[in-house]
Amino acid sequence: MTVLADRIDALLPQTQCRRCGYPDCRKYAEAIATGATDINRCPPGGQETLQALAKLTGRTAAAGIDPGLGGFTPGHVAVIIEPLCIGCTKCIQACPVDAIVGAAKQMHTVIEALCTGCELCIPPCPVDCIRMQPARGTTEGMVVPVSGNKQADFFRAHYRARSARLAREQTERHARLRRKEFAAGAREEVIARRKAEIAAAVARVRAKRAQQPSKPGGGSR
Amino acid sequence: MAGAEILRIEVVYALPDTQHVIAMELAAGASVRTAIERSGLLQKFPEIRLAHDKVGIFGRVVKLDDGLDDGDRLEIYRPLVRDPKEARRELAARGKTMGRG
Repeated sequence: MTVLADRIDALLPQTQCRRCGYPDCRKYAEAIATGATDINRCPPGGQETLQALAKLTGRTAAAGIDPGLGGFTPGHVAVIIEPLCIGCTKCIQACPVDAIVGAAKQMHTVIEALCTGCELCIPPCPVDCIRMQPARGTTEGMVVPVSGNKQADFFRAHYRARSARLAREQTERHARLRRKEFAAGAREEVIARRKAEIAAAVARVRAKRAQQPSKPGGGSR
Repeated sequence: MAGAEILRIEVVYALPDTQHVIAMELAAGASVRTAIERSGLLQKFPEIRLAHDKVGIFGRVVKLDDGLDDGDRLEIYRPLVRDPKEARRELAARGKTMGRG
């Protein structure tokens, strides 16, 4: 099963666009492998991917790509209209492959070579400042495959790197929280112990007084 | 990540027409400032003023004296073009917010 999922995943374009209804290409591959879904749910892959999936799985490609999943224009990438950007970081959080550079109240910019064209950054933008347009080869300093399996591998690697980083950050957040809770718990424990000690002391004094009802020096012998 | 002797990082300065990605290796313990100085971007883009412009790692603003981890992408940011106050007014008029997260 896993081996089949690997082989299916290797045929998917790794745009991580979720048009198929799964959270990423890998999950779609696994669902195809188990027979849970159809092979025609990848608009970015188009006919080529559909045919390859049909050949691998022995299923039919006759229905064509499900038209309800929307079209996809290969080679288009997201571009930010700078005069409109307010630096809200929503697109950065939505991007599955860390293709957008920017921080809060700073200009956001798409690193073209990293953009898979998934369009997931577009709906979250509150000022509609992201457009899709043909790639122009504007990224310098990266050796980037422009199409095919090599490009899919490149996208997958970046998706995995981001996923691993997010998981790591979450683990660190949880650890911080646990340390904080532990510190708070320890403080409460100390307070509770002191309260118990004081209560025990008070009880001892009361017990003593109960045994000797007369005040010291006040009684007759 | 911690404990690596060599840090493999990237320094990025992204413009709409050219996104510059400089991959580099640094000795463990190198600072953000060192990485940026070694990237050559300051010579290539005199408009970058480290004393003024913000820098960050994967969208989180950091200080120039902060350390780096293996795999970090160090980003040199550019200011917004739009006046944020004006932007906020326009958004309010459209019933949207800048929000958080």
